[in-house]
Amino acid sequence: MAANIPNDNLNLPASWRGLSSVFMIAGLVCIMLAAGICMFSGDGFEKGWQIFCHSYLGNYMFCMSICLGALFFVMVQHLVRASWSASIRRIAELLAFTLPWWALLFIPILIAACSGNDWIYPWALGKGKDLGPLVEAKLNFLNPLWFTIRVAVYFAVWIFAARFYFNLSRQQDETGDSEITLKLQKFAGPLIMLFALSVNFGAFDIMMSTDPAWFSTIYGVYLFAASMLSFFAMMILSCFLLQREGRIEKMVNTEHFQDMSKFQFGFIVFWAYIAFSQFLLYWYGNIPEETTWYLHRSEGGWFYLGLVLIAFHFAIPFLGTMSRHIRRRKSVMAFWAGFILFVHWLDMTFLIMPFPTLDHAVNPFSWVMLAGNLVCGVGMLCIFLSLVLMRVGDIPLVAVKDPWLPEALAYEVGP
Amino acid sequence: MSAPKPKKKPSEPQSHGWMAEYDCEHKLMEACRKVRDSGYTKTDAFLPFPVHGIDQALGIKPTVLPWFSLCAGALGTCTALTMQYFFNAVDYPYIISGKPFASWPAFIPVAFELTVLFAAFTTVFAMLGLNGLPKWSNPVFTNPRFDRATDDRFFLWIDAADKYFNSEKVRELLAETGAIEVDEVKDDHSSDIVPRKLIITILTGIAASLIPLMVVLNMRNSKSGGSRLHVFFDMDYQPKRKTQTPTAIFENNRVQQPPVPGTVAHGELDNADPYYLGYDPDAVSANVLESTTRLVSLQEGDQPAAATDAEPQRKWLEEFPEGVVSDEMFEIGKAKFEQNCAVCHGFSGYGDGLVAQRASNLAQGYWLPPTSLHDSKVAAQPVGQLYHTVVNGKGKMGGYGPSLNFEERWAVVLYVKALQRSQNAAEADVPEGVSVKVVTPPAETAPAKVGQPEAEPKSPEASTPIESEAPAPASESAKPEAETSAAETEVIRPEAQDPKVVVPEAPSKEAGDGAAKESAAEPVGSGSDS
Repeated sequence: MAANIPNDNLNLPASWRGLSSVFMIAGLVCIMLAAGICMFSGDGFEKGWQIFCHSYLGNYMFCMSICLGALFFVMVQHLVRASWSASIRRIAELLAFTLPWWALLFIPILIAACSGNDWIYPWALGKGKDLGPLVEAKLNFLNPLWFTIRVAVYFAVWIFAARFYFNLSRQQDETGDSEITLKLQKFAGPLIMLFALSVNFGAFDIMMSTDPAWFSTIYGVYLFAASMLSFFAMMILSCFLLQREGRIEKMVNTEHFQDMSKFQFGFIVFWAYIAFSQFLLYWYGNIPEETTWYLHRSEGGWFYLGLVLIAFHFAIPFLGTMSRHIRRRKSVMAFWAGFILFVHWLDMTFLIMPFPTLDHAVNPFSWVMLAGNLVCGVGMLCIFLSLVLMRVGDIPLVAVKDPWLPEALAYEVGP
Repeated sequence: MSAPKPKKKPSEPQSHGWMAEYDCEHKLMEACRKVRDSGYTKTDAFLPFPVHGIDQALGIKPTVLPWFSLCAGALGTCTALTMQYFFNAVDYPYIISGKPFASWPAFIPVAFELTVLFAAFTTVFAMLGLNGLPKWSNPVFTNPRFDRATDDRFFLWIDAADKYFNSEKVRELLAETGAIEVDEVKDDHSSDIVPRKLIITILTGIAASLIPLMVVLNMRNSKSGGSRLHVFFDMDYQPKRKTQTPTAIFENNRVQQPPVPGTVAHGELDNADPYYLGYDPDAVSANVLESTTRLVSLQEGDQPAAATDAEPQRKWLEEFPEGVVSDEMFEIGKAKFEQNCAVCHGFSGYGDGLVAQRASNLAQGYWLPPTSLHDSKVAAQPVGQLYHTVVNGKGKMGGYGPSLNFEERWAVVLYVKALQRSQNAAEADVPEGVSVKVVTPPAETAPAKVGQPEAEPKSPEASTPIESEAPAPASESAKPEAETSAAETEVIRPEAQDPKVVVPEAPSKEAGDGAAKESAAEPVGSGSDS
């Protein structure tokens, strides 16, 4: 079996490893800078701080959702006993295993939720603060203690699953024991069920409750679609960049690129399908408490951001990555992957930033949004990259003794 | 049953191509590359399982099928959007859920479906077309060795249609590739023959699909003693009673129960209260029951019950309902009377409205003049009956219920009563401080009041006209008794405002005076006729 495995460079380029600390420092500086921009360029310290907190949450979800997508990818590959993905699964495992650190980065958000201020969550103000009957009725669910417990459970599930898949896969690197693969497959089903529940409720709690009067049962699926889409974009980009540095050149071939691109294409459509499903029902029903969310996002310049999402998050990449010939060209797909990651950031901005108490003057093209939110996004992305590079370290980028690996290398997409 | 057998050609059948057989896929792949490099393009390979890379080995170009799918999908999107825009916004604009006619979000699901539909159908049929399907048979099946293509052998095929095809050269080429057998396949016409099995299957399918239709036709044209088929039993036998059927639940065995006397169904006060009807509905129910009984007895062919009056004897309201008699109502009544009634009945109620005058002038012979409201029959009617006439009409007069609300109807009745009293006022009706000049009616017309109705609308001589000489006949100055204040204001106003009242010259003080005094407290119209 081992004879089939080509000799390939599976380690992170040495020059990249040193970047980890640079990225971390740059990220922290950017986030502080963003806080400064938000607080001193808006009208008032209080409002600027609120905008910064939302920006932190939106950019946090922008990066964290990629890791959630990675976790789901690892589990679903084991669930369906996929062989084609054996050579790329390690990268997803590494991405997913940054989740413990994301739990740490969630602490500022948790503080905002428990502070008794509406920095992010209006419900954090508590009872008797004129939140309206719809929110008052939800306060038994949306209160700091209960919120903290739930978020702890979600992160417990995610961290457990990420650790489980990463550690056993690393163990297999040493032993080559195929029993490990069987064990991973056996646990994939139950863990995916827990993952589905935790992502759904996590989306409700962490993101949807920034507008607590509003509700959408498809919101969790929306986040899932966005996560998967951005994860595949991240994978394509990672593989492309690693191959440019001469890594995993034989392990990941054009066929894998084509398949990741197919998945990315599929989730572009799925994202549009879910986003439109949510919109159509609320648009058609036209019931005040259901349409508030879209009302906030159709006022000011946010409406144009919505149109941009339709065009750039769906129509253009849909047509752009439709062709097989494009999917098999790594550099072109790398461009599209970067494009997708950028519109994913726009999507998260669209979800989080037009919060109910946001000043109408603050449109997506205002200084505080363009500069503050963008700098915060860059900072969060730097932290994300730093965490990933730190996580990779000298761990091989391919699960070298995975029993599926020979099959993955011989994998070929049909004509 | 089967298609006509192809005519056997006298000449030797043409070559259809050459077939090489291999015992492992590697040899086949090797042979494929060789054949490809030799320039042959009309080639094919047959394997029991898929082998990666065989397309490149054979030099098969990517299919154009995706372009069909893409174009058909785009066509589907455009079709759906155009169709819906045309239907909803141009051809038949119809407001749905208060949305704009061209509401694009609502068009998206249909556009999505049509995109998928068009793309899917086009892909399937274009695939069939590009493959030359359906094809009933292929000459390669004449080679018995070819059966192992689905089992354990690998075949390479070079078609005779290839532009470089040369039977001898192809045989040599294939023989060099390590084939264990190289066979020529002769052309036959097996692909022109529709397989008998297929025909039988199709005909059987058609015949089978006719069975339900036959069963239905048979059932519709025959009678059966058996119970019918209840597909949805609980729809045919619902746990409820239908109208016009008996039941044991109620003592009178009727499913439909009459309303309980003295009760009003919710929202049906209009049918129950005298204010809305002009009569007491409870008092009339006995009469209605009687006529109903008669109708039923007629229907059932029994001896008909004794006929009752055609007009049901209603118990009319004699007094105005509470709140009707007031100055405001009088003003409403005047306005509504002049809007709706005066064109026929005239402003003073003598049936000399503009319509009546014009119709009389035309003298077409079939004009039935409007009733004078001062006719003794009308004057004798209780207020409830007048109300009923206002609402439902009478004779040629249409009902004015739809154009007057309940309050306005009573206001009109109030005004009519005032008009009547103004034309038949007694001396006692005249308020204090107003001097009265009583004129004597001509002797011959006085008793004939009942006999001459509408024919002479302008004959106020029949009554006892009075002339008010008060400089200011305002109602404020004319309220001697609180009890009859409303009635007294009625006396004055119409007279003061009606220029058509003819006041005869000869003044006298006589007959009718005493009678009028007796009924001073009540409306003059009802009293003067007695």
